[in-house]
Amino acid sequence: MKKLAIAGLAAVTLAGCSDQQEEAQVLNLYNWSEYMPQEVLDRFEEEIGIQVVYTTYDSNEAMYARLKLLDDSSQYDLAVPSTYYVNKMRKEDLLMEIDHSQIEGFDNLDPELVDQSFDKDNAYSVPYLWGTTGLAIDSDAVEEGEVTGWADLWDQQYEGQVMLTNDMREVFHVGLRVLGYSGNSTDPEEIEEAYQKLTELMPSVRTFNSDAPRMPYLEGETDIGMIWNGEAFMGKEDMPSLEYIYPEEGVIVWLDSFVIPKNAANPEAAHKFISFVLQPEISALISEDIGYATPNLAARDLLPEEVASNRTSYPTAEDMENAEFQEDVGDEAMQIYNRYWEQLKTGR
Amino acid sequence: MLRGLRQPFRTGVLVLVWTWLLALVLAPNLLVIGASFLTRDPGTFLSLPVTLENYRSLLDPLYLEVFLHSLYMGSVTTLVCLVIGYPFAWALSRVAKERQLLLIFLLIVPFWTNSLVRTYALKLLMATNGLINTGLMEMGLIDVPLRMLYTEGAVIVGLVYLLLPFMILPLYSVFDDLRRELLMASHDLGAGRFSTFIHVVVPLTLPGVLAGVMLVLLPAMGLFFVPDILGGSRNLLVGNVIKNQFLDARDWPFGAAAAIMLTLAMALLLFTHRLSQRRLGEEAEV
Repeated sequence: MKKLAIAGLAAVTLAGCSDQQEEAQVLNLYNWSEYMPQEVLDRFEEEIGIQVVYTTYDSNEAMYARLKLLDDSSQYDLAVPSTYYVNKMRKEDLLMEIDHSQIEGFDNLDPELVDQSFDKDNAYSVPYLWGTTGLAIDSDAVEEGEVTGWADLWDQQYEGQVMLTNDMREVFHVGLRVLGYSGNSTDPEEIEEAYQKLTELMPSVRTFNSDAPRMPYLEGETDIGMIWNGEAFMGKEDMPSLEYIYPEEGVIVWLDSFVIPKNAANPEAAHKFISFVLQPEISALISEDIGYATPNLAARDLLPEEVASNRTSYPTAEDMENAEFQEDVGDEAMQIYNRYWEQLKTGR
Repeated sequence: MLRGLRQPFRTGVLVLVWTWLLALVLAPNLLVIGASFLTRDPGTFLSLPVTLENYRSLLDPLYLEVFLHSLYMGSVTTLVCLVIGYPFAWALSRVAKERQLLLIFLLIVPFWTNSLVRTYALKLLMATNGLINTGLMEMGLIDVPLRMLYTEGAVIVGLVYLLLPFMILPLYSVFDDLRRELLMASHDLGAGRFSTFIHVVVPLTLPGVLAGVMLVLLPAMGLFFVPDILGGSRNLLVGNVIKNQFLDARDWPFGAAAAIMLTLAMALLLFTHRLSQRRLGEEAEV
């Protein structure tokens, strides 16, 4: 059957494939999607003369699995995990020590965000951006004063309109906080309780999205749910009715840092890129463009007033009440989370 | 002399094909089978001891539910493909030869674009602010936008869109071989249109139907990016579970076991296909 062969060929095409070309001076940067303005990459290529091959991921888990699997193949020179994954990867010997003599501008960083417990003396990581995960509403569809906390997501009237990030830890963080527990709980009973609570929310959930969490709001699919503050910032440019709300149970806080995988092919370029981003002007450009907060204090002085005073990007002390920083919960607790996460998403 | 020339060519091709099969089909599958009997390890992904635990956890009602729901969505997809594909293939085999080539060409053209990109395009069509909704509202047919995206229906539409050619091509192949004389003979012997269809056309095209069903049903259960994009990461397929095990949960042995189960389901389908073909062959001889 010749035509069956055609179908077979078509099937091969369907699978698709992607290759990456290796060249002499290349930096392979592995980053979250929509987390670096193209202008920064262009300027780095222009000014430093190193070409950037840019690849993205949408969860710490995917990034970690990829780096772990490709440990020996030197596929990536730089990645941007959240703090709890920096800790995990450092412990598992997946990271190369940062050579601080090659880094310029480290002193620009906020002293409150360096030398933290997850990576003492920043031996393996350099902070890139920090941000929060909070609530978003479309104020055209949802009354503004009505939503004040995570618990409001459970309100019957929002059935079929709720969006959650496609991030296991964040979704469970919400469930745990609503019950009054820590978002970094490792207690199996608390996690199970949070799972039970979240199953009640599931009929309301329309979609999970960690690719670009602002999109379901912009597309008109959802009116209320979770969002990252930078996404809320970017979304508001296209959709003025998109409001970012700091939930009273406490917002989720995270910090993402540059790390160099152990077997990076071009660590020199990685160091150069980190120094490049640490320049106040570049850090300011990034924060201004994608709306996450820069840990670079020198950059903060360069920000235009409307960005520096934007509560979505730079929360006030009041906004940060009850806020909780994401931490590593260990492999054992992760297994429990994983199991319930799968049940949550497949159950109906 | 001709033989002497052809022999090395023949051996060459055979060696190539066998190397291909051994290196790219057999070896990876053996690795997957091997992995499915090992134990999860947070550091190195896989470790000893050898165990059947992964297959036992597959019996969990949760995964059975996913499998059944996946099978249901795959079956609906297959059925829709068949209902559209069957008359399409028939009509295709009836048009003039030059046109047939053009139409088949058009059928294959979408494959030149990555299926992921095409799925995103579907999303733009079906979104609440998407083309279909704005179009219908503009025409005054609806007042409130239809909620099409992130539903079971959206996933099935996506699957049908991606897999329809795999149903049409084998069906076209059998319709193309269907000899007009047989239909005429049936008419001459007094059978009506319906009777001819049931007793002549359907049995003769059955191998194509079965081939199409196989080419659609199993991929339909594995195309994980369709529920991810059009289903809002809900209405998950077996393919999503496998992907999640490998990428997010990092439980490779369990993911491997799930993949093996899907392969076994495929094998079962192929086996019944062969059985039915043999039976059809016997009937034809009688």
